[in-house]
Amino acid sequence: MDISHTIAHHILDHDLGVTLGSFHLPITAHTLTMLGVSIVLFVVAVLLSVRGKSLIARLLNTLGEEYVAFMRDGIVVPAVGKEGIAFLPYFCTLFLFILFSNLAGLIPQMKTITSNISVTGGLALCSGGLIVYAGIKTHGLWGFIKSFVPGGTPWWLIPLMFPLEVISLIIRVCVLAIRLFANMLSGHMVLLSLLLIIFIIGQMSKMAGVGAAFPAMGLEIFMTFLELLVAFLQAYVFTLLTSIYVGLVVHSH
Amino acid sequence: MALSPFSMQDHITITTLGLEFAMAVALGTGAGFWIDRKLGTTPWAMIGGLLLGFALAMYIVIKEANRLKKEENSAKDKK
Repeated sequence: MDISHTIAHHILDHDLGVTLGSFHLPITAHTLTMLGVSIVLFVVAVLLSVRGKSLIARLLNTLGEEYVAFMRDGIVVPAVGKEGIAFLPYFCTLFLFILFSNLAGLIPQMKTITSNISVTGGLALCSGGLIVYAGIKTHGLWGFIKSFVPGGTPWWLIPLMFPLEVISLIIRVCVLAIRLFANMLSGHMVLLSLLLIIFIIGQMSKMAGVGAAFPAMGLEIFMTFLELLVAFLQAYVFTLLTSIYVGLVVHSH
Repeated sequence: MALSPFSMQDHITITTLGLEFAMAVALGTGAGFWIDRKLGTTPWAMIGGLLLGFALAMYIVIKEANRLKKEENSAKDKK
């Protein structure tokens, strides 16, 4: 049994694309999962927003309103202030998309798309774009460029401070991507490794393998619940960090 | 409150500092390694990049610490 091959098969992306003549359509397991998550999110958003008189419709509406109120009062307004309400739709979408993407990995046969650096990199680039947009919208282009140099800096330090601050912003965006990617990838590798312990010990002795199955499965169940917590936590942290960075840019003066 | 004087936002930012530190050093070293390969100056650009990355990492940490100190002081003044 090739352990590394088994882990790679479950974690890495697979090309399921079709080739039409000389054109290759790169459909992969991750893009399919992302499409599925997007469709589910669209249906959920429609269900939450459509007004109705039935009890279920009213319950769903209340749930949607509570969610938006939580995002506004719990994350965006404390970090950004009243100016952040203009960006509330982005934060609401970001949180739900990351949460559903994380949770999709816990469903059998589905992939954790947030364990792919390209996906988290794309999300971080969107957040980076929002940070720059919020800065330009609040201070204007020249004001945003000036905000990279802290107030009271001597003129001869400006050529040094400006690149430092620009690189710090790039690092923040990179950190957003790496944090989510690393947490989701490591969680799934731990889950797989715990499961594979049974087969590794089973290769030495079948009885020992059966004996190892009980503690391994106990740990597996514990880790699955931990992954469920991490799915919520990482979606929250990504959204909160984005709102903090937007707040730092908006209140830079 | 147990998190006092820092808010939840501050705690999340503090936990990110370690990753930002590592990222700054890795970015500087990577840029130096790339310059070395392009110009054939191995290992000088990489060493320079490592030092610059480390300096940037320290700058990020000190700036964040100053910001948190200011927030702590303003929270104390409010009390």
